[in-house]
Amino acid sequence: MDALASLAHGFAVALTLQNLGLAFVGCFLGTIIGALPGLGPSNGVAILIPLAFTLGLPATPAIILLTSVYYGAMYGGRISSILLNIPGDEPALMTTLDGHPMARKGQAGEALALSGIASFVGSLLATCGLVFLAPLLVRVALLFGPAEYFALFTLAFATLGGVASRNQAKSLIAAALGLGIALIGVDHQTGVPRFTFGNVHLYDGINFLVAIVGLFAISEVLLFLEHRGEGEHAPGKVALGRVTVPLAMLKRTWATMLRATGVGFLAGVLPGAGASLGSFIAYTLEKGLAGKGAGFGAGEPRGVAAPEAGNNAAAGGALVPMLALGVPGSGTTAVLLAMLLALNITPGPLLFQRNPDVVWGLIAALFIANVMLLLMNLPLVGLFVRVLRIPTRYLMPGVAMISFVGIYGISGSTFDLLEMIVFGVAGYLLRKLDVPLVPIILGILLGDQMEKNLRRALTISDGDWSILWGSWLAIAIWTLAIVGFLAPLVIGRFVRPKVKDTVAQ
Amino acid sequence: MNKLAAACAASLLTALCASAPAVAFEPAATECIAPANPGGGWDFTCRQVGKTLYDLKIVPSPVQVTNLSGGGGGVAYSEVVAKRDSDNDLIVAASSATSTRLAQGAYPGMTMGQVRWIGSIGADYGVIAVAKDSPIKTLKELLDKVKADPSSVAFAGGSAVGGWDHLKVLIAAKADGIDDIRKVKYVAFEGGGEAVTQLLGGHVQAFTGDLSEAKEFSDSGDIRILAVLAPKRLPGDFARFPTAKEQGLDVVGANWRGFYAPGKMSDDAYAFWVEAVKKVYASDEWKGIMKSSGLMPLDLDGAAFTAFVKDQIDKTTAISKEIGLIK
Amino acid sequence: MSDRVLGGFCLALAAFFLWRTTKIETSFITDPLGPKAFPVIIAGVLGLAGLYVLARPDARPDWPGAGRLVEIALAVGVMVAYALLLPSLGFVAATALGAGYLCWRLGAGPLEAPLAGLVISLGIYAIFHLVLGLSLARGPWGF
Repeated sequence: MDALASLAHGFAVALTLQNLGLAFVGCFLGTIIGALPGLGPSNGVAILIPLAFTLGLPATPAIILLTSVYYGAMYGGRISSILLNIPGDEPALMTTLDGHPMARKGQAGEALALSGIASFVGSLLATCGLVFLAPLLVRVALLFGPAEYFALFTLAFATLGGVASRNQAKSLIAAALGLGIALIGVDHQTGVPRFTFGNVHLYDGINFLVAIVGLFAISEVLLFLEHRGEGEHAPGKVALGRVTVPLAMLKRTWATMLRATGVGFLAGVLPGAGASLGSFIAYTLEKGLAGKGAGFGAGEPRGVAAPEAGNNAAAGGALVPMLALGVPGSGTTAVLLAMLLALNITPGPLLFQRNPDVVWGLIAALFIANVMLLLMNLPLVGLFVRVLRIPTRYLMPGVAMISFVGIYGISGSTFDLLEMIVFGVAGYLLRKLDVPLVPIILGILLGDQMEKNLRRALTISDGDWSILWGSWLAIAIWTLAIVGFLAPLVIGRFVRPKVKDTVAQ
Repeated sequence: MNKLAAACAASLLTALCASAPAVAFEPAATECIAPANPGGGWDFTCRQVGKTLYDLKIVPSPVQVTNLSGGGGGVAYSEVVAKRDSDNDLIVAASSATSTRLAQGAYPGMTMGQVRWIGSIGADYGVIAVAKDSPIKTLKELLDKVKADPSSVAFAGGSAVGGWDHLKVLIAAKADGIDDIRKVKYVAFEGGGEAVTQLLGGHVQAFTGDLSEAKEFSDSGDIRILAVLAPKRLPGDFARFPTAKEQGLDVVGANWRGFYAPGKMSDDAYAFWVEAVKKVYASDEWKGIMKSSGLMPLDLDGAAFTAFVKDQIDKTTAISKEIGLIK
Repeated sequence: MSDRVLGGFCLALAAFFLWRTTKIETSFITDPLGPKAFPVIIAGVLGLAGLYVLARPDARPDWPGAGRLVEIALAVGVMVAYALLLPSLGFVAATALGAGYLCWRLGAGPLEAPLAGLVISLGIYAIFHLVLGLSLARGPWGF
């Protein structure tokens, strides 16, 4: 009840005309930033901080603006994933798998509207979770040491078969490539450079945004060049279809959204896991539950709803450790944290007592932003799909140039641009060879964490491997990982005929 | 209200500034390079100092902040040395990370003499802490435990091995007479926040980081700060933390923030920037920023700052050699 | 055949990876697992997957003809040139040229292409620099 009263107070703080206006601007800019390849939520928030400073905003309005941008970017990432098969940022990666096939089938509008609703459900429930479960969840987050994180990332990898393409060996190649790329740079645990060839640009490792934009966006441009003038690859011909979600589709996906929200929220709460892991596990979980033959990967609505509910829920979850502990659960919350510090507010265990106005104003703003985003995103679906009507000869050069500037604007580095072109060419060749690109990115994002946490755990235990199953939590995750790895095989063997029947009907 | 006060302070200072002796160098389109992506420490240093410079009317137009990331600042360093060597309107954000990497040769082929060091704008002092339920009460006790059995204490920190958080522990261990500092167990996490949670969760036994990262957890009673690595007790609210020095360990670890400028910058321009950073440091506006971001006093400029950086690099080089990080 | 090349390439890459792994210089301080274990495992996985693809390749993908390959190579060349010239030409000019070229190669007419390039360039400049305030390459004319 206490939380409800505080929340009501928060709404009183947040519901002023100025704050609503800022939330609107933030949602709008955030959606655009999320949709632009190369700019994700963390960069989006970071580049808008100067704007908040320039406007001379006090703490609460500034935070409202920036969290609206944050939520907006999480919504926006899906747009380019679905329409162009280019993830706007890394949490939207999984949305390409079924979102783009839906668009190719002429269901772009439905995919956008459905994912918009899934995003809404995910972040709405996550924000509720933030209000009521924060203190409890913080305790859970603290249970995760290096050993538990290692088990968690292994769990994610064990289910990688779930996203595989037709050829398992090729998705293995892709994952290994990603893992290899993740190793480039100075090794965290010993301080020695690995695979940098003495090049200072590689000391920090490969920025995964460069890899994503290169692999997806640049290779897409090259594919269009190859197919210039051929009818079937020109999106100008794509039927726009309806721009709302049929009720039947919502009925079929609501359970998916709820499950994905739960998984995503938990992944978000853990500092060191994050939105990408949330949407990934949400997707593979749904795919596993549906069994083979459910059409995942070929434009299945559940495959769109799951990652979007998952990554938006993770965005809300990541605020739990940030607000309650002062520890960022993701890159974006790290930037928000820095922003709070600059505004003379120290997040941490005492934040709720010391600055209740800010905290509850912020949480109220999250609810407001969320409703605003839904209201903004559903009518705009009709506008977004019109992007597909832009002739390829103008759209694709625009996409290429936005990709370049997205990377250059953040890093200011020509080397990053060249790196991105290399990824683009590689992405083109790999696509021609039917090697899936998603496991490469997952390899970069997750593999790095897997190695780091394993080595941290072994450092702590002086090389004693039993630390890896030294707690009940670790054992529970290992059990899940083993089940997650074996279940598709077992289900594939025994349940497949039944699933096929239901699909056939 | 606050804004109004700040504006008054700014205009007051402008009046004072106007009476200062004219400097021969006139800044034009000034630029501050943040050698990292938006949102990081260097980015904030550039943006906040840039804003203060403009608010105080020290520069005629807003300072353009350029992000040039890569190589832990190495890309920006070599860019400045190679291409912007005589740019009079350019300053670059730097910190202990810069001097640590220079010392360890992580900027290949670069030395501190290739740029001009302008001044510092504050420092964040190192701390060593344990969880609240730990039986250890002083830094000495902790280090004695390490001395007796190095594997009994795992230190968690936010920097990579060989980075600043790690070096602080090693310097302290050395001061306590631990012979083989390579045996000190250090676990690298992504950022101080993650390291603190590992301490709270009981996965490690000690935390090494900066005061700004640890203060809030100390206020809430979750962790016990054993020592601040400052030369003397810090002012105000921070005075309750004991220093390492008063515990008989001569260890000072300051994560300073400051600026360097291109190596062939004209003397007039260099003098201008040294003076400009000094003015920023002295302003009320900056004092407010320091307070809110947990920065502690450290005002060194020109020659004194250059000597300070050199000293830090020499010390880092020595200890890095000892642990075999550099040959 | 394409898949056999891919498999062979993966094997070679795995071997290269192993060779570079042996070159990693460890210092006196090292954790129990060390920096070399993961590279070795990954090289192993990559090599095995490569072998599998080498032994059981998929059907040949339909590669574009020589003309289109030259087209793609030229576009990559233009992108590289764009990246290299960006700091000296400035953002607007370089982007207009780059985007104009791509528009032209994707089928825009000789008049439309440069125009479209300019519009794309100015549009991006407006959004990224004027609205979002990112610093783009300044070039000789300041934009």
